[in-house]
Amino acid sequence: MKFYLPAIQQMLVIAICGLFVCCCATAVDAQDGWGTLKGQVVISGDAPEMPLEKVDDHPDKSICLVDGELPKDDNIVVDENGGLRDVFVMMYVKGKGADAPIHESYSKDDEEKELSIDNVKCRFVPHALFVQTGKSVLLKNSDTVGHNCQVTTFNNECNVNLPAGDSVPVKFEKSDKIPGIVNCKMHEWMDGVVLIRDNPYVAITDGEGKFEIKNVPAGEWEFQFWHKKSGYMKKLESGTYKFGRKGQAEVKISNEGETDMGQLEFPTKAFK
Amino acid sequence: MIGPRIAKGCFNIAYLRSLPCFGNRLSCLPAENSSTKHTPNHPAKRTLKHAIAKLVFALTALMTLGCGETLPPAYKLNSVEFLRQEKLFLGSGEHFDDAYKQEIGSILTALFGTPNEPLVPALLGEDDPVLEVMRPENINMAAGPVSLDYHGKGGGLYRQHCSHCHGITGDGNGPTAAALNPYPRDFRLAKFKYKSTPLRSVPRDHDLTKVLVNGVPGTSMPSFGTLPDGEIAALVDYVKFLTIRGQYERYLMAELSNLDDGEPLIDLKLAQKYHQLAAIEQPTEQQEEELEEVEEQHLDSMWGVVGERLMEDAIERWVDADDNETEIPEAPDAFDSGHDGHRDFVATGRELFYTRGNCAQCHGDTGVGNGQIESFDDWANDWIKTPGVNPFNPKTYKTFTEAGALPPRPIKPRNLTEGRYRGGGQPEEIFLRITNGIEGTPMPATPALTSDEVWALVAYVKFLPYGDVNELPDRQINEKAIAR
Ligand code: HEC
Ligand code: HEC
Repeated sequence: MKFYLPAIQQMLVIAICGLFVCCCATAVDAQDGWGTLKGQVVISGDAPEMPLEKVDDHPDKSICLVDGELPKDDNIVVDENGGLRDVFVMMYVKGKGADAPIHESYSKDDEEKELSIDNVKCRFVPHALFVQTGKSVLLKNSDTVGHNCQVTTFNNECNVNLPAGDSVPVKFEKSDKIPGIVNCKMHEWMDGVVLIRDNPYVAITDGEGKFEIKNVPAGEWEFQFWHKKSGYMKKLESGTYKFGRKGQAEVKISNEGETDMGQLEFPTKAFK
Repeated sequence: MIGPRIAKGCFNIAYLRSLPCFGNRLSCLPAENSSTKHTPNHPAKRTLKHAIAKLVFALTALMTLGCGETLPPAYKLNSVEFLRQEKLFLGSGEHFDDAYKQEIGSILTALFGTPNEPLVPALLGEDDPVLEVMRPENINMAAGPVSLDYHGKGGGLYRQHCSHCHGITGDGNGPTAAALNPYPRDFRLAKFKYKSTPLRSVPRDHDLTKVLVNGVPGTSMPSFGTLPDGEIAALVDYVKFLTIRGQYERYLMAELSNLDDGEPLIDLKLAQKYHQLAAIEQPTEQQEEELEEVEEQHLDSMWGVVGERLMEDAIERWVDADDNETEIPEAPDAFDSGHDGHRDFVATGRELFYTRGNCAQCHGDTGVGNGQIESFDDWANDWIKTPGVNPFNPKTYKTFTEAGALPPRPIKPRNLTEGRYRGGGQPEEIFLRITNGIEGTPMPATPALTSDEVWALVAYVKFLPYGDVNELPDRQINEKAIAR
C-alpha cells in the first residue's frame, strides 16, 4: 500500500475507523499492452539428499505414510532434470513495482480460481501457495485424523483447528514481503510455505522448475526469486540476467507474446 | 547487549517534549511558518508536515550530536530481531551496517523517548489516534524511576512492579526472567494469550486490566489487585506503549532488507534539502519546481516509516480493540448442571474432545496434557525457525542467546484435570479460549465448531477435574477415537 500526501486526510479517517484501504491501481487504460513472463529454475551441483520426515512413532503414523513409506522432507524438491520446485518469482514492489497497473484478470472476486491448502497424508497440498490479500483460501482436511493449520507470516496469521474431513475458509488482509510458513502443531514435520501479497504478479515454479506469469504490464520491471531454503536467490546464474542482493533481476516484458528468461541456474551449495 | 547509543547527556528529551505537537505536551496547532507557505490550505496535510519536520529535526539532533556511551536506563535495542533479519536476508557472515542500530535507536528515541522521559508519539497533535489508545499522564505515571510525587502519588510503577520480570523495555527479559517457566511475556511481538478478541487482534483494555488484577494463576505473573484503579490503568497504558514501541521497532528492522546498500531508513539529507528549499523567501520558478519534487519525495519516504509502519501498522490496531470483541452466545439450558440433559451434554462434549475438537491429540486421551505435540510458543518460534537453528541443539543458536534470546523451551498443553485455568475458570473465559484458541501457543481456534458445540466442550472441560468420565452415558465415538 502506498499513500501520497493528498490521501492523508482520508488516511486520518481510516486510522480512526480502522478500515483498510486498498490503493492497488485498477487496470489503467493507458497501459500499452500486457505480456507473459516465463522461465525455468534448475539447480547446478548435486541435488541435496533430503531426510525422512521425523514421524517417529507418532500415533497417526499409519495415516501419514505415503505409498506405505515414510515421506521425505519436501522443502527442496528437484526433478530428474534438475528443475527446482517451489521457487517464488515475484514482482519487486519497491520503487516502480509499487505502482504497477493490475490487469483485470487478477480480480479478487473471481470465484473460479478458488484457492485451497489441503491436508493429505499429513502433508500440505500444495506445499507452496500464493494468496492475494483479501482473497479467500479454503483450509481443507482430507485426512481421517484432525489437523490444525497455522499460517504465520510477518504480517498475517491464523491457527485453526481442522476436524477430519472438514474445511474452513480464511482470508488474509495484509501484504507481506516474503513468504511465511504453514504448520500443523499436531504433526510437527508438516511445513508449507505461503506468500500473501497485494501485487498479483507472482508465480511458483512447478515440478519441472518452470514458471509463468500472465498479463504482466509491458515494460521494464524487476522480479525477485526466493526459495524457503535459500532466502533471496542472489546466487542465481544466467547468461542474460544479473541478480542483485535481493534476488532481483531486471526484465523487459514485451507486449508481443512471451518473455522467456530461459534457464536460471541455482548452485545447490547456496542452500542454507 | 547493545542499547541505542543515546545518552541523556547528548540530547535533551525535555527539548522534544517542549515542542508543540510532539510528545506528551499537546499544545497544538503549529504556527504558520516558512515551511508551510507553499502548500495549499489543507489542515491535515499541514499538521502531518509539521510533525514530520519536527521529527526530522529531533532525529538530526539525535544522530549528529555525537553521542557517547549509553547511560542507563535506556530501552534496549531488539538485537535478536536484528540478528534474525541478518540471517534471513544476508549471506552467512554478512551483517547490516551498525549505523542502522544507531538510526533505529534514534528514531525510536525521537518518537518514544527514554524510560525516564517517555514520549507518546502523537505526531498529529491532539487529534492523533494514539491518544485514544493511551493517555500521556498515564505513561508518565507508569514510567520513570520509582518515586512519590508531592501529592504522595506513586510514579515509576512499571519499574517498581514489573520490570524485574518483563524488562525495562518490555522484552520479557528482566533480571529474574530466565529462571521462570513460562517466561514473562515479551510485549514486542504484540501477542497476548488471555483476551476476548481473536488471534491477531490486540486485547481490549478490559482484558489487560483483568490480567493485571487477577494475575495469571499457575504462572509467576502475580495479581496486582491491591493497586488503585488509576495505577492499574496507567500500567495498562504502559503495556500498550511498550508493545507499540516494540512492534514498531520490529517493523523498522524488517525494512532493512528492503534498503539499498547504505540507504538510510529516513533520508535526513533529503529532508534538509527540502527545508532549505522551503526556506527560500522568493524562490525562482525553477526552485519552486524543485521544491515540489523534493517535497513529494521527502514526505513519501517519511510516510513509509512514520505513516505506514508506525501509525497504520503499530498503532491503528489498538484504536478499535473493543470492536473486535468475540461475542459469547448464551449457553444452552443443558449447560446448567441442574438440568436433566446435563450429563448427555457433557457426554457430547467428551465426544467432541476426541473427534471434531481434536483436543485429545494435544491434551491427551485423559486430558492430562500428554498428547503428541512437541512445539514451542511463538516467542521462541519467532527466531528458532531461522534457517540453521535447531531448538534442540544449543550450539546452533548460541548467537541468538548471546543477542538476548532466552533458551527455547517446549510448551506443554495444559493438564485439564487440575482445574486451574491461567486465563480464568469462568465458563465464558473457557469458551473464549476454545473458540479463539490461545494466541502465541499451539492451541488453535475452532471455527469449524458451532457455539453450542463449544459450550459442550466447556462443560466437559469443567467436568474433567471432578467428574468420573466412566459415569457419563455412552456415546457413539467414532472408530478413530477408540483406536487412539
Ligand atoms: C514475577 C514475575 C512477573 C511480574 C513481577 C510481572 N509479570 Fe507479567 N507476566 C509474567 C509471566 C511469567 C507471564 C506469562 C504468563 C503466561 O504466559 O501464561 C506474564 C504475562 C503478562 C502479560 C500478558 C498476559 C496475556 O494475556 O498474555 C501482561 C500484560 C503482563 N504480564 C503485565 C505485567 C505488568 C503490567 C506487571 C507489573 C504490574 C507484571 N506483568 C508483573 C511474570 C511477571
Ligand atoms: C495443537 C494442540 C492443541 C489443541 C488441538 C488443543 N489445545 Fe488446548 N492447549 C494447548 C496448549 C499448548 C495449551 C497451553 C497454553 C499455554 O500454556 O499458554 C492449551 C491450553 C488449554 C486450556 C487452558 C486455558 C487456560 O486458561 O489455562 C484449555 C481449557 C484447553 N486448552 C482446552 C482445549 C480444548 C477443549 C481443545 C479442543 C477443542 C483444545 N484445548 C485443543 C494445545 C492444544
